[in-house]
Amino acid sequence: MAKENNQAISRKPESAVKHILSFVLMIAFTAAAFYIVVSDVVPSGWVIPLLLVFAAIQVFLQLFTFMHLDQKGTAFYTFFMIAGIFIAVISAVGILLM
Amino acid sequence: MPTLIVLLVLALFLAAIFTGGYNKQFFERVRSSRTWDWLTTVDHKKIGILYLMAGLFFFIIGGIEATLMRLQLFAPGNELFVGRTFNELLTMHGTTMIFLAAMPLIFAIMNAVVPLQIGARDVAFPFLNSLGFWLFFFGGLLLNLSWIFGGAPDAGWTSYTGLALNEYSPGPGVDFYVLGLQISGIGTLIGGLNFLVTIINMRAPGMTFLRLPLFTWTAFVTSGLILFAFPALTVALLMLMFDRLFGSNFFDYTMGGSTVIWEHLFWIFGHPEVYIVILPAFGIMSDVISTFSKKRLFGYNSMVFATVLIGFLGFMVWVHHMFTVGLGPITNSVFAVATMAIAVPTGIKVFNWLFTMWGGEIQFKTPMLWAVGFIPTFVLGGMTGVMLALPPADYQYQDSYFVVAHFHYVLVGGTVFGLFAGIYYWWPKMFGQMLSERLGKWHFWTFLIGFHLTFFPQHFLGLFGMPRRVFTYQTNVGLERINEISTIGVAGMVIGTIFFLINIVYTLRKGKKAEADAWGLGRTLEWSIPSPPPEYNFAQTPLVRGFDALWVEKEAGNKSMTPSEPLGSIHMPSPSYIPILMSIGFFIAGFGFIVRGIPAAAIGLVVVFAALFLRSFDYDHGYHVEPEDPEKGGKE
Repeated sequence: MAKENNQAISRKPESAVKHILSFVLMIAFTAAAFYIVVSDVVPSGWVIPLLLVFAAIQVFLQLFTFMHLDQKGTAFYTFFMIAGIFIAVISAVGILLM
Repeated sequence: MPTLIVLLVLALFLAAIFTGGYNKQFFERVRSSRTWDWLTTVDHKKIGILYLMAGLFFFIIGGIEATLMRLQLFAPGNELFVGRTFNELLTMHGTTMIFLAAMPLIFAIMNAVVPLQIGARDVAFPFLNSLGFWLFFFGGLLLNLSWIFGGAPDAGWTSYTGLALNEYSPGPGVDFYVLGLQISGIGTLIGGLNFLVTIINMRAPGMTFLRLPLFTWTAFVTSGLILFAFPALTVALLMLMFDRLFGSNFFDYTMGGSTVIWEHLFWIFGHPEVYIVILPAFGIMSDVISTFSKKRLFGYNSMVFATVLIGFLGFMVWVHHMFTVGLGPITNSVFAVATMAIAVPTGIKVFNWLFTMWGGEIQFKTPMLWAVGFIPTFVLGGMTGVMLALPPADYQYQDSYFVVAHFHYVLVGGTVFGLFAGIYYWWPKMFGQMLSERLGKWHFWTFLIGFHLTFFPQHFLGLFGMPRRVFTYQTNVGLERINEISTIGVAGMVIGTIFFLINIVYTLRKGKKAEADAWGLGRTLEWSIPSPPPEYNFAQTPLVRGFDALWVEKEAGNKSMTPSEPLGSIHMPSPSYIPILMSIGFFIAGFGFIVRGIPAAAIGLVVVFAALFLRSFDYDHGYHVEPEDPEKGGKE
């Protein structure tokens, strides 16, 4: 593991295009989210599910481009995030079902 | 506000008197004083000692509160502490013992030991380590100041909102609970994160995960539990703060809120919390028993597996604290089964300890006595735990002294015995002196006997129908004699604690100097370096060649660890005053919110942000020290 960390310093250089593209996409999704709330483009029952989908896509963009989850040596981060989501879901579902 | 200025001027005045007036050298003198050194330290060993001292201080306060409660319950119809005062005592006893005594003492030992056990020179984030301590300390201070400023919280340590909202608990008491715990909770969360990163990233070469000493493993799992459990408490406390301070209605059922939500959030945090405080005790036991039995820990892999499994299951059982809320038979059954499942990994651990001792060359030094006393005591607590896990039976036991007896058997018999074992075991490593064995044994026996005398009869008090948290009982219902015995038992624990304090004072004055391998039986890396360790811990990072790294080298006939790097200058982090400044900011902000003084709260938050700003533009990259070469006659 100690070795893995040393490797993390010499990770391959990334292209700026990917970051800019992700950034533009995230701005677009945010704008779209505002737009579907203030306008009637989407039927009202679909607004919240659609917002959640947008949010999920943004989370993935954030994690993979800006927080480098697509690179090697991220097993621990992934594990702890999945564990956190798992526990949060168990707790939330537990409370909702009771 | 004027009070604040007066206090500030007074503090400056006193500083001037004790340091010899203001002149050009004033700041220089302050900076080179020992007090300043301790206030700004980022060294994990010193922070460990700070945690230990603060934890023992709060342990004694909590103990005094417990003693006062038992005095009130000594006789039926007693009028020593009645009504609200008794409620305040029981709330503060529980809150102090869990958050301000057990948690910091665990962090004390984790700080003192974990970096040494993994062959690291410090924790991953020394600055955050210091910040975590000071946040905890000022949070605890804020909570305890409630005794002076308008009354302590009185809604129980669980602070159920049916008791804790403004209309049920007027006065600032519960506000102190909310903000004090919020601030110290931030500190705990920071500490937990720090240890996760430390254990993942800072292990010496060769120290794979399955070579970690078991205490480090439990510290790792505990830190994970802190990471996932404390956010639930943070959210719950924030909602309660808004309900009490700003008139929101999260928990007020007359306005569409739900009191059950608080119970869920509290126990989603609260159940992992009890594993947070017990798992490190398990780890200490494993190290102590294996050391003093002179044997490799039996079933190491299964111990690791059991630790992780307990940590995992800890999140799946919170409803067993709420069986009588009325969530329905299916919910109760699911959580009852999950709860009973935890007995399996715990049983694995108990058997592994017994098998470790079996056939070992056992030496009954004080830490080993605590460890051996721990096993039967904890098993008793575990048995009553399984009894309480049965919903139909729980309807009978709930809110009675049976529950009180149960959780004191696991928290005192488990956590406190474990912490005492750990303190006796690692004291030489922390302070470079051996605690007195004779006084240690007196401490153990008086405490053990006093503990069982206090809490064993409480099982029967509960079965005979005495409710917990009630300040009196009537004559002629068969409770007098048992309560008398229970109160007399407290004397044993008080005397034991006094022996412990005498032992500390005696040792600090004329204790025997400790060797590097203080017990002569050391198996893990911390015993391969001098006691107390130099500030850089390891002059050369050791190469780990197996589980029980030092023992492996001893078996191979080597006197010390094989180094994994040449001797060279070592990078050290600089001390920093920012953590204490930031914590004081939080303290002022918390106090401002409690007295409803929003300007004061704003000033506090400004201090916090100023400290954050200072830290962001702090370009101090630390300094380098040249270690002394142990081979060339450098003093070790």
